[in-house]
Amino acid sequence: MIKFRRLIWMPILAAAFAVLPISHGFTQSEDMNIGDEPGLVPDESVQLPPQFQRQMVLYRTTEPPGTIIVHTNERFLYLVQGNGRAIRYGVRVGREGFQWQGLLKITRKAEWPDWTPPPEMIKRQPYLPRFMAGGPGNPLGARAMYLGTTVYRIHGTNQPQTIGHAVSSGCFGMVNADIMDLYDRVPVGTKVVVKQRPSV
Amino acid sequence: MRNAALSFARTALACVAALGVTGAASAQTLKAVKDRGVLNCGVSTGLPGFSNPDDKGVWSGIDVDLCRAVAAAVFNDAGKVKYVPLNAEDRFKALQSGTIDVLSRNSTWTMSRESEFNVAFTGVNYYDGQGFMVRKALKKDSALDLDNSKVCVQSGTTTQLNLGDYFRTNNMKYQEMAFPDAAATLKAYDSGQCDVFTSDVSQLYAERLGLSAPNDHVILPDVISKEPLGPAVKQGDSQWLEIVKWAHFAMLNAEELGVTSKNVDEALKSTKPDVKRLVGTEGAYGEQIGLTKDWAARIIRLVGNYGESYERNVGTGSKLGIPRGLNHLWSEGGIQYAPPIR
Repeated sequence: MIKFRRLIWMPILAAAFAVLPISHGFTQSEDMNIGDEPGLVPDESVQLPPQFQRQMVLYRTTEPPGTIIVHTNERFLYLVQGNGRAIRYGVRVGREGFQWQGLLKITRKAEWPDWTPPPEMIKRQPYLPRFMAGGPGNPLGARAMYLGTTVYRIHGTNQPQTIGHAVSSGCFGMVNADIMDLYDRVPVGTKVVVKQRPSV
Repeated sequence: MRNAALSFARTALACVAALGVTGAASAQTLKAVKDRGVLNCGVSTGLPGFSNPDDKGVWSGIDVDLCRAVAAAVFNDAGKVKYVPLNAEDRFKALQSGTIDVLSRNSTWTMSRESEFNVAFTGVNYYDGQGFMVRKALKKDSALDLDNSKVCVQSGTTTQLNLGDYFRTNNMKYQEMAFPDAAATLKAYDSGQCDVFTSDVSQLYAERLGLSAPNDHVILPDVISKEPLGPAVKQGDSQWLEIVKWAHFAMLNAEELGVTSKNVDEALKSTKPDVKRLVGTEGAYGEQIGLTKDWAARIIRLVGNYGESYERNVGTGSKLGIPRGLNHLWSEGGIQYAPPIR
């Protein structure tokens, strides 16, 4: 069933990206005009605003414990705990035109991942390096979890100030402390449900 | 038998007709509000996030937004509201006497309030309930983890009774530290006399701001009692009840359908049937309750959808920063649910 849903969903996603940018407004925070800053080493002592700090919240869902649910519109990622609760993390999400929704699974996990910006990203941002070794100045941060066979990941960041904003190319970014926390809680194969505001 | 059924049907019809006349005769509130040119809205004397005046006397809050929504639907102007601050004792009397048209004052919907005060609650715009605050350093993330703690609670309240029930039911021991007023209870907790502080969740978030180190405390996700807060109207004017009720439902449906104050004009061009019914480009749902076709579009444009109102007043856009929790839409992790517009 899951396989089938992915099969039908992926071409739709691909088509959407090829033909027209998906446009959606934001309620929370306006788009932050900030590019990737490879090489910048983040100040990890800076605390997130309270609402984006990791916390246990009430969350009712039919998805089983261990499932990740991302509410793009809210800039929150929920890790379902069962018994009506979830751990909530603040995330940064894709900027307008780079948001998406669907069901994927984590296919790979990596610590201090290397960064090879995909060709479509290089095309848009030619100034980006073609390759960057993993480390504190790497835009993927301390950990990365790869989603299906897409170019999307849940990863750390070297720009903690972007949490809560729509700035990425469709990836979900978290501060390094949070991505390390999440990384240790979820195995390869974890179901990731991404939701966005419905289009009118 | 057939004749009997027929005559019963005739009687029933006559009754319906009579009711119809009565209904029309009592449908006075909308007319009175329109003639007056302003909606009289009963609010609190000042509760941040719910109904609170700023230093210029401008009211804001999730309860204030409900009144703004009704004014938007009726006048196409969310500012045509006169706020009447009321204490807890006077609030329902003000509805009965007609001093206010709607009460939107963080009031819990209970059976006896409807029957004794002759009022009708129109919905639940904030699901509150009792919760717990603890020090972060204790590393607790569940109320079931609070065995053998010292709990600060205000005495003589339902909160105190719920606390006892909850611990007893879950076979947990606790030591109660009860204080006569809210301020003393909080102070005792802040000074370290207790491990746990209990009150309604919305209160916990507000009270945490007053602690000496707010960031050192967490509010547990558990909600152990039902405190459904909502607006109320006087019984007897079913049209007015519908208007206030559907103003709230319109905001919820708007969030569910992705219609916001920013994209409402785009929504007016939508081809989706449920969006069209909401914004009034299909059907005449507003007209059936004495409003215009675009009643909900007015609300969404001038006030926003429920999520926008929540985040602005009590959520991520406010000092309180209360997670949506129970007040998420039913499809997003909570229990906020509006019947469809069709």
